[in-house]
Amino acid sequence: MSLPGLELSAPVEATLVPTIQELKEGTEWRFEVAFGTKVEVRLLSGSAELFGTELAPKQPYTFSGTKSAIYTWHGCRLEIVGDCQVEYIAEETPMINYANLHFALEKLRDGAASAGRDGPRVLVVGPENAGKTSLVKLLTAYATRCGRLPVTVNLDTKESMLSIPGSLSAATFSSIIDVEEGWGSSPTNGPSPVPVKLPLVYYLGLANPEDRTSVYKPIMTRLALSVMNRLQDDSEAKTTGCVIDTPGVISQGKGGYDVIHHAVSEFSVSLVVVLGSERLYSDMLRRFNGQKTSAGETIAVIKLDKSGGCVDRDDAFLHQLRQAQIREYFFGDSKCTLSPHTQQIDFSSVGIYKLAESSALLTSLMPGDANEDSMIPPIFDKIEPSAQMQNAMLAIVHAETNDPQESIRDASVIGFVYVAEVDEKRKKLKVLAPLSGRLPNKAMIWGSWPEGVTDLVG
Amino acid sequence: MSVGLPSDEVAEDYKKALEDLTANSRYEISNLTVIAKENTEHALAISRVLENHIKNTSPDRKLPALYVLDSVVKNVGTPYTIILGRNLYTTFMNAYSLVSIQVRRKLDEMLKTWKEPVPGSLDTKPVFPPETIKPIESALLKARTAALQQQQQYQNRAQQEMMRGRPQATPNTQWRHTPTPPQAHGVYYPPPQQGYPQAQRSVPMPNGHFQPHSPYPPQSQYVPPQQPQQPFQQQGFQQPYPQPAGYPQHMLPSQNLDSLKKDIADLIGRTKAEFAANTFDNTLRDRLKALVDLQIILEKQQLPPHELQAIRDQVAQLSATSKPTSVPPPYVPPPHIPPHQPLRPQQPPAQLPAPQTNDLQALLSSRNLADIIAKAQQNTSTPPIAHATSSQTQQTPVAGPPVPSVPGSDLLAMLRANNILPSNSNTPTNGSLGYPSSATNTPPILPASLVRPSLINDVELTSASLKRHVSLSLILHVATNVSRPRPHLISALYEGRPNQCSTCGRRFLATDEGREKKARHLDWHFRTNQRMGESAKRGQSRSWYVDELEWIKSRDNPEDAPLTDASSTAVKAALAASLAAADPKKKHIPAPSDPALANQPCPICQEKFDTVWNDEAQDFVWMDAIKIGSRVYHASCHAEVKKDGESTPLRINTPDSVLGKRKAAGSDITANNAKAIKA
Repeated sequence: MSLPGLELSAPVEATLVPTIQELKEGTEWRFEVAFGTKVEVRLLSGSAELFGTELAPKQPYTFSGTKSAIYTWHGCRLEIVGDCQVEYIAEETPMINYANLHFALEKLRDGAASAGRDGPRVLVVGPENAGKTSLVKLLTAYATRCGRLPVTVNLDTKESMLSIPGSLSAATFSSIIDVEEGWGSSPTNGPSPVPVKLPLVYYLGLANPEDRTSVYKPIMTRLALSVMNRLQDDSEAKTTGCVIDTPGVISQGKGGYDVIHHAVSEFSVSLVVVLGSERLYSDMLRRFNGQKTSAGETIAVIKLDKSGGCVDRDDAFLHQLRQAQIREYFFGDSKCTLSPHTQQIDFSSVGIYKLAESSALLTSLMPGDANEDSMIPPIFDKIEPSAQMQNAMLAIVHAETNDPQESIRDASVIGFVYVAEVDEKRKKLKVLAPLSGRLPNKAMIWGSWPEGVTDLVG
Repeated sequence: MSVGLPSDEVAEDYKKALEDLTANSRYEISNLTVIAKENTEHALAISRVLENHIKNTSPDRKLPALYVLDSVVKNVGTPYTIILGRNLYTTFMNAYSLVSIQVRRKLDEMLKTWKEPVPGSLDTKPVFPPETIKPIESALLKARTAALQQQQQYQNRAQQEMMRGRPQATPNTQWRHTPTPPQAHGVYYPPPQQGYPQAQRSVPMPNGHFQPHSPYPPQSQYVPPQQPQQPFQQQGFQQPYPQPAGYPQHMLPSQNLDSLKKDIADLIGRTKAEFAANTFDNTLRDRLKALVDLQIILEKQQLPPHELQAIRDQVAQLSATSKPTSVPPPYVPPPHIPPHQPLRPQQPPAQLPAPQTNDLQALLSSRNLADIIAKAQQNTSTPPIAHATSSQTQQTPVAGPPVPSVPGSDLLAMLRANNILPSNSNTPTNGSLGYPSSATNTPPILPASLVRPSLINDVELTSASLKRHVSLSLILHVATNVSRPRPHLISALYEGRPNQCSTCGRRFLATDEGREKKARHLDWHFRTNQRMGESAKRGQSRSWYVDELEWIKSRDNPEDAPLTDASSTAVKAALAASLAAADPKKKHIPAPSDPALANQPCPICQEKFDTVWNDEAQDFVWMDAIKIGSRVYHASCHAEVKKDGESTPLRINTPDSVLGKRKAAGSDITANNAKAIKA
């Protein structure tokens, strides 16, 4: 339409004036966007990548609730629309080291491919906010770009990969990683503009795995078993190997690196990458360097610098991040809206398990009777739904409700439901499931992590 | 960015890096390997630097340097194998002749691996071609066999004549000096000759093509010269080459120290062998310990020169006195010394009473040590070597008196042989061919090392493990530790895959395969966009996660892979199929809200669907229904039809005008591809 004066309104409406950032080669534009605000970034010229995933030229990328960085090897011009909380260009980055690590891994993969051996299994350890996940993402993205099939594993229950917090997961990455939303999306029943990734998920339901290593470790073992099976089954994945992200808490040495040790042996890790901690590096060196994996390869330990772009994310931000991840599980993201399904279920039709209080705590509460309790303490308590459960997340696992507790603990996750309402009188639960249809009649685990979401269902 | 550095610069850097390589550090070695790999355009310069380094570095650093060579040829391959192979005989034999017993073992092992393909490589060709390795092997073999015969000969001769020029140094100094040319010069050379040998040595460094001459010095050590007149020819031959004084004199002290260390290491080696033979001999063990302690002291501490000299003297003296035949040694061969004394600053002070520490003295003066040395000397034919060196260095008529009787003149014979065939000097056989006596080419040291058992086995262990992981963690460390930009590698991520998708930024190779992948990828985008439009109406929700077995068996169905449909639906369909496969009648879908679709009958049986309330789904549903693409079928009808035809007949049935030809074509292509892949 060409009514006179109509065009004028458009520019007036767009109060946001795009800013242009010129990045020199080898520099990084670091930016933080608050939840609830949006920033649109467009690559005008040159090349740019976000944690290893290249941006398409001229395509708009929308960011919200993130602290991220766009790096350029060749220099680029970025057009930015919207307000960032923080933004600056950093000249010093450890990207060269990170990339060199990738190329070294590529060499190992080439060697593995020609010799029919397993590709490198890389474990990334380091304190909180050292950039572990970013490095893992970078290594994954580069491997994918080189035509590999990396198996990426997340052992950090504080944050999640392709799932909600509290879970451990693994996935192969044959296609590009979503630039805008973390790791991207797990499969839906519809199309997705960015190819979905198929994760294998286990649920711990705790933020700090060191709280209950007796549960965490068997789950990790089970996950490792699946990953190893996948590697053996899939020649492409086998030569690529895997990249493993870990929670920062296991690198603080409180548990004597027990968990790291477990991970190294379970995934038969051939390379330990220590990020940003000299002390941890020397501890790791002492522990693992020169040791042999089960396959007889020698474990190497290397140290990489922490990026200056790593920022401490405060609790409020992390809380919002978790909420956003849960929301995304049910409702999708900006590119792809999902329709979850609310339904009523009877108390009688569900078998809900909650992690038992740690036995140490129990015995300390029961003075004198400790010896009497010679039985192995139960892993879970089977519980009746109660009002406490409102707003909690339940994980449905691939185990029958009357299976032994070990099987329930080790079972992989089918999906999550959100308890919207508990009607104790009518003995009905109102839950939000990701899709319609009857809930699988399987055991459910009620974890204390992630914390409940209050405003998920209006 | 460091593109296109001139060769000189690279070579200079590499040389510096090599000079820092003091121990068998895999990190440094792999580092050097990676540098070599990244600078293949400067392969010639780097190879030259490496060869020179191996030749000139002190014996205890030769092994790491050779490991660099080994790592480079194995991990980089051509052009290094070609360039380094040219002078391999020289390089290897030179080093071999100068290093200790333990190190020789490692070298033997290394040589063995050179005959085999690179571990882990598909290439079945050996690291070096047989024609490169054979001469080395045959030379070593000859050395071994000839050694035994020679030993007696040498001993006799040695007893008569060996001490002539260099009494005190005795075996130690001989061992010590043989490797380090400068010392030899310093000690034995009359000034006028000095230039020649130096020239001889230094030639290879700056000019790769001179390298053929480098064999002389090393070989000379092996061969006890017998014909004194040969030096002349040698000399004449060498004179044309300029570049004298290649050997900086300031290197001498450290070289002395190194050689002393080497002597002690040799002694230790020999003592170990002794000890192996007489395990119950406690005194031997004590001596061994004393020697090891001495070695440690030398390694750990910076001793002032006079102390060093004292140690040397002690060692030398002890061994000398313990030698029955040895003549009380004048410190240096009198005729030659004076001009060179400045070159060996340590020598003069040594004659003064040594102000050593008590520890050292105790260590050194122990009779045990002396005994060991004595024994060692008797067993090893070291003395002749000493002469070899001296004569080698003498090479001049002036040196006449000592030379004639000295076995070292054989070396000269060798040299002459080389002289005769200078261009082939890198072919090891020359010497032996030209000179029957060069079979004696066998370093006298060799037999000692080869014949004797060693107490220590860990040598093999370390070298084996090192080799195995050269390709692994070494590379790793280097790559990360060297925070050097590698633009050409980065470009593999960008320019190396020039075929970029404008929608998502994914890149593809510029090959036919890459183009095909990209075409499929673009198809995927196209299909996805279409389906996005459809699904917006229909509503979309997250799928359940798969279980372990399914995950393990799942193959990513990347958008560019030649498979039937987009990944998400494939997964979903598989899941739905597995859930509902048991009974198609139980399949149901939410009743469509779109009135047009709601009135559509099943395309197969043309019957309408019944809408019922479903408790489980908490929704109105169509029972026995299945939605495929945009059409809804009776699940039972669909199952029936699907059973008949192997492939889904749906595409034929659907008069799918909405999706149009593009989709159909796309599906056909993908289907064909799938078949092709299967075939």
